[in-house]
Parts: sequence; C-alpha cells; structure tokens
Amino acid sequence: MRAAQLGWMSAAAFLALTIARADEPSESAAELKKLSVEELMGLEVTSVSKRPEKLAATASAIQVITHDEIQESGAQSLPEALRLADNLQLAQKNSHDWAISARGFNTSLSNKLLVLVDGRSVYTPLYSGVFWNAQDYPLADLDRIEVISGPGSTLWGANAVNGVINITTKSASNTQGLYLEGGGGSHWQDFGTVRYGGMLAPNVYFRIYGKYFEGDAEVLAGGERAHDAWRQGRGGFRIDAQRSSDDTLTLQGDLYGGSGDHTATGELRFSGGNILGRWSHTLTQDSDMSLQTYFDRTHISLPTAAMAFAPAGVIADDLNTYDVDFQHHLRMGERHRVVWGLGYRLTHDVVSNALSLSFFPPTLTQNLFSGFVQDEVMLRPEVFFTAGTKLEHNDYTGYEVEPSVRLLWIPALNQTLWSAVSRAVRTPSRIDHDLAEPAPSTGLVLLQGGSGFKSETVVAYELGYRAQVSTKLATSLSTFYNRYDHVRSTAPSPEPTIPGLPFPLVFQNDLEGHTYGLELSTDYQLLPAWRLHAGYTLLKEDLHVKAGRFDFSDAHNETADPQQQFSLRSALDLGRNLDVSTALRWVDTLHINNAAVVGIVPSYFELNARLGWHPTPKIELSVVGENLLHAQHPEYGFPDPSRVEIRRSLFGRIQCQF
Amino acid sequence: MSVLRALVLVWLAGVAPALAAGPTEYQVKAVFLFNFAQFVVWPPQALGAADAPFSICIVGEDPFGAELDVTVRGENVQGHPFAVRRYRDPGDIESACHIVFIGASQLTQLEKIVKSLGDRAILTVSDIDHSAERGTMIQFASEHNRLRLRINVAAAKAAGLTISSKLLRPSQIIGAEAG
Repeated sequence: MRAAQLGWMSAAAFLALTIARADEPSESAAELKKLSVEELMGLEVTSVSKRPEKLAATASAIQVITHDEIQESGAQSLPEALRLADNLQLAQKNSHDWAISARGFNTSLSNKLLVLVDGRSVYTPLYSGVFWNAQDYPLADLDRIEVISGPGSTLWGANAVNGVINITTKSASNTQGLYLEGGGGSHWQDFGTVRYGGMLAPNVYFRIYGKYFEGDAEVLAGGERAHDAWRQGRGGFRIDAQRSSDDTLTLQGDLYGGSGDHTATGELRFSGGNILGRWSHTLTQDSDMSLQTYFDRTHISLPTAAMAFAPAGVIADDLNTYDVDFQHHLRMGERHRVVWGLGYRLTHDVVSNALSLSFFPPTLTQNLFSGFVQDEVMLRPEVFFTAGTKLEHNDYTGYEVEPSVRLLWIPALNQTLWSAVSRAVRTPSRIDHDLAEPAPSTGLVLLQGGSGFKSETVVAYELGYRAQVSTKLATSLSTFYNRYDHVRSTAPSPEPTIPGLPFPLVFQNDLEGHTYGLELSTDYQLLPAWRLHAGYTLLKEDLHVKAGRFDFSDAHNETADPQQQFSLRSALDLGRNLDVSTALRWVDTLHINNAAVVGIVPSYFELNARLGWHPTPKIELSVVGENLLHAQHPEYGFPDPSRVEIRRSLFGRIQCQF
Repeated sequence: MSVLRALVLVWLAGVAPALAAGPTEYQVKAVFLFNFAQFVVWPPQALGAADAPFSICIVGEDPFGAELDVTVRGENVQGHPFAVRRYRDPGDIESACHIVFIGASQLTQLEKIVKSLGDRAILTVSDIDHSAERGTMIQFASEHNRLRLRINVAAAKAAGLTISSKLLRPSQIIGAEAG
C-alpha cells in the first residue's frame, strides 16, 4: 500500500499548494498590454469556444478532456482518451474490450454509466452497458469529452446512475480543409484517417471522413498470443449551418463495421450507422430551444461458449433506435432560470438466439417517454439553488422519478463550493428481464432473467470544491456518499427444473449498500512551456445481501473496482518544435469474482509517453509508447489461464492538416 | 440532448465573467484591438485634428462588456485619446470610426457592413468564422483555446491602411479580395 500512501501525500501536497497560492493576483489588462503579439497568441484563454466557462460554476463533479489533451496523450481510441479522466474506473480487458465506469460497479456487465456521442446515446438496452469496440471517431475532430461522475439522471434519465460521458465532435466550421493521419506499430499495427472539410454555401460547412485501424492481439499470462486481434473501419459526415445568429442546424451521420477475434475460431462482428439532426433556435434574448432527432442502428454478433447442455454458438443482436428530444430554456424574472424538455425513444431489438445464450422474447419493441423540468434560483448574487426532476415511463417498470437538488456557492472570486442530493434509477435492461442461459429448449436453464426485476435505485449525496487559484493553478475536489437499493442479485428459483438442484438462478433485487469516496484533480502550469496534472480517486464500496434474502454470489458480483488510483501527467514543450508528454498511472488491487469465488488483479503502475515533432505548423510526427513499464500486465479478469494481459506497445504517427 | 450545455448555460449566464481567473477571450481580444491601433498605420488625414479621438466602434451586440473600455482607458494613438463607441444598428456607423468590430450578432449582415464602409480608412475586425475571406481585414480565429489572427492584406491595402510586419508575421494571410 505504499503507492496508496504516495497518492494521499501527493493529494495533500496539491491541496497545500492550492491554499498557499490562493492570494496570487489574476491577470489584468495592464499586464496583458505588455505582451507581444506572439505572446498574446500563446495565451490559453477561457471560453474561446464561445461557450461559457462551465467548469468553475457547475454544481457537479465534471471533468473536461480537451481536444489538445487527447492529441498530446497520443490516444488512438476513445477508451485511451478516457484514461485522461480521473473520475473513471477504466480497465482494458483485452485487445478490443474495455470495462469503464464511474464511482464503481465496473463489472463485465457494468450498467451505471450513460455515454453520449453528440447527444446520441450509445449504450445498449441489452445490458445497459457500452460495446466500446463499436464506438470510435477521428480523435483529431473531437472538440471535447465531458465526464461527469455522480447521477445525471434529472437531465439524462435512467442509466445516468453513476455518471455520464458526453463526447462532442467539432463543428464542421472548425474542421475545414484536408486532414491526413497515418501510422503503425506493435499494437496499433496500422491506422489511417482522411478528413476533408469545405463550405457548401455561406455559413454552411461540411466535413466527411474515413478512418481505419487494425489492433494486434494481446497475450495470455504465459506469454502465448491471445485470440483478440481486431479491426474497424468507419466513415461519416457532419454539416453545420448557421442560418442567422438565431438558428443553428446540424446534420451528421456515421457508418461503421469491424470484427475482432474472439476464440481460436470464433469472431466478434459489429456494424451500424446513425443519422442525427439538431435545430437550435434563439427565441428571445431570454429564451432558446433545441430540437434533436436521430436514428441509430447497431448489429453485433458474438460467439458464445459451450455450456453443460448447450453447444457453442453465435448470438446476434440487431437494435434500431428512434429518438426525439426537445428542450427549452428560459429566464423568468431576475432570479429564475428554467429548463424543461420532453423526449421519446423507440427501440426495436431483435436477438437471434444461440442455444447457450438466449433472450425471450427474441424480438422486443419498447417505448420510453420522458419529461424534465429544472429551475435554478439565484438566492443571492453568489448563491444558486437548483431543483428539478425527471419523470420517465418505461415498459418494464412504468413511471420513474429522478429528482435532484443542488446548491452552488461562490464564496470568493475563482472559488466554488457545491453540494447536491439526487435520486437516480437504473431501469431493467433486457438481460435482467429476458435472459435464459442456456436456452430453455436445452432442458436446463442455469441463469434466467427475473420477470419481476425492479429498478435499482441510488440516492447520492455530493459535496465539491473547485478553485481557479491563479492563471497557473486549478484544482477540484469532489466527495460522495451513495446509498444503493434493489441492486441485482441472483437466487435459486422457487421452482427448480430438477428437484434438489438450485437452477435456474434468477435475477432478483436483493442487494443493498453504500459507496463513498473522493475525486481530486489538479492542473498546474509550472512554466509557460510545462504543464502538470495530478489526479487521485478513492472509492470504498460496501454491498451486502438484504436481511433474510440470498445471493448466489454473496454480493461479490456487482463490483470489480480498485479502491484507489492516481495519475500524474506532464506536457512539456521542449522548443525546436518538439514536445513530450508523459502519463503515469497507478491502479490499486482489483477484486474480481467468479460468482462467489474472489479473484484478484494485482495493483500496477503503468506509463504512456509521446514525443512529437512539428517540422512545420501543419505537420506533426510523433512516437507513442503505451504501457511502457511492463512487457505485459493484466488490468481485468478472473485469474485463470485465459485471462488476457496487455502488452507494452509502440507506434509512430504522422498528422497533416492542409 | 445537449441538455448539459443548455443547463450549464443557464447556470452560468450570470456567473461566468466574475469567475474567469485567466484572461477571458474578450479580455485578450480587447488587448488585440488596442494593439491594432499601434501596429496599423492610418493615412494622416484619417486621424483628424491633434486632439480628435481615435474611435473603436462595436457594431451590434457588445461582447466585450467593460473590457475594452478598461483596456484603452488613459491610452492614446500618436496623441489621439481612445474612444469606444457602440452602434446597435450597422446603418448608424459614422465615418469617425477608425476600427470597426463586427461581432457574432452580425453574422448575416457582415458583407453588407463591409460593403457600406467601402474603401474608407477603417480597419474592419470580426470574429465571425471565415470573415477574412468575406472581406474583413482582420479575423480572430481560435485554435486549441488560443487566438489566431487571419489577415486580409488586400482589403486593408484597398482602404489605404498599412499593417506592420509585427502583426503580419505570426498571422495567417488570406488572399481574398475585399468584398
């Protein structure tokens, strides 16, 4: 646990530094006027994106990963970019699968995190998780990734239980011209992106892109090659039109396909596409609205392993989603700012069952209706109180209410203290309700969805502090205490198929418990050319079986999280058009279970590094090393011979913008 | 579902300026406008009598708040004290302006404003996307949270303005003719 102590100490040191420097004056016009034109251009300014500086005054645990941070990190995939958020638990399972969650519950069926790409939900209602291997985008065209830990359900609804990831791509007006990227190496064997952006008419911009990559296989503990090499190709477009200063229109779409080796013979296949339109309109100076609609189609087919009474097979899922979402925000009088909205989503899911894994009914159409309203009241010029609720209706559990109250206090310039209490629910997914493993036709179902499965609930209490101490130093601390109820458990059916045997096991809601912890993150501009970042996360989880009830996994199966983790990052401009960035991370021991049998992934240190050279402002050549400290290390999985470990890897990359 | 953005906007509208610790976008843009007055040479007759003010004019909604006034307070250009003027309606712009800043609210009016100023010795500045191609002399663009200048040299030349190489060197030069 020495690493853990180091984590605490660095956290304390950063806090001390924060307090010690709290009196440093901020930049004034007089100081700015002394700077040369070049120096002015070198300044990083807040809210250049024409969006308000949101971090300082948001009453939630939000972290923002910027376009530049992603580029500097050398990230080549979305999960790699998400490693830059301190408030996530993230583990790479194998070459093409990741477990990603916020505030815990990061099991292989983790289901408490909502992920949106440009406002389009990408989690699957099959198990309320995300097929990360099917999500990607040219990272150079990402504007930012917002990672909010804690419930976001009042705004986003069910599934935003423990957090929300909001991936935003750039407006087409900011991706003009030709962009080329290519490279290759040991894990990322070869990859390439082509993007072209142009103008269709005055104030109407477009871009089109294509991206392809191949990821090589990782290894097993003994060093043998795992069967998990994969590849993906995708293409898409985005059109942004500003018809007047009051109207913005966006139309965008993507198509993708890929495959990954799953076993020696079986292959995971995924493909899909989406199209989205959004209209934002300013009604008056005090009110604006937006209307968004999208269609999304995903296909996934996955080899399933043989079970006692069922041969190996392939399960396939075809999901069509139709979604429409309306929002209106308005100022009422001097003190009130109100936002309300309505949404409707229709999902049509068709599972092609395998004998070893099946869903009943195989075809299911579901409706989700939602509405929300939230009012922010200015109690005093520096105190803001926000109250709101979401009301949803889903086909499994009917009405769900997800209220929250938030208080924001700005005790001094550049400092924010916030607090929130929210209730969120995770509504049942198909796996909770409709699963049969193996299929009933085999004669013995071992694991079965619960027809009476209820929503899991959480009440979250949060307290946070944020300070922009000076132009050089910013820090943020979020703490939380979450109470969970009706969390998923498994219990023997009261009507066993074969008398005397506990099967089928049926999903129930018999776990409860609490979690608490903190997330600390600090940025420090040590020199104009040297930026440092430190992050630390503490997570304590205590789930137990409700009195008088039973769980086959003894409450061990819904969590798989490190208790602590920390990261240290540095981005240094070396001059001569060279820059180097490094990211060190430490992840605590992870307890991961196979039913009630406890397994362990050892704690580890790992290091990523990137060296970039810009021979001209339009060209960057870089060398990126990932997981440099060990030849191979596991991040996830029950310790058995089939557990995949992640190799050290290296690649070179060239990026040109014309 | 840009709820977050919407909500945060709602949260912030009143708070953001007070909180910004580093230089804000318009703080830096104000300093740039001040610098333009030093690095652009106006024909002598355009500056008028010795004590006539040097006017920076903002058309449409004013995104600077008090920043521009604070930046130029007590400063002068070759003895001409600065003045900041604001015009809701582009039609009201007077010939007394030396710099005209065209903000985002004038998106659809940009060409009309540039045209109405003709070849008068007025430096046009805008932060509307691609405004340099559309005839504005200097455009603020943002790149990785930093401000960049895009300069339409031909448009400035047509108005009889000379832009110093100190300004041109770090900037992107746009070839389009004045609109």
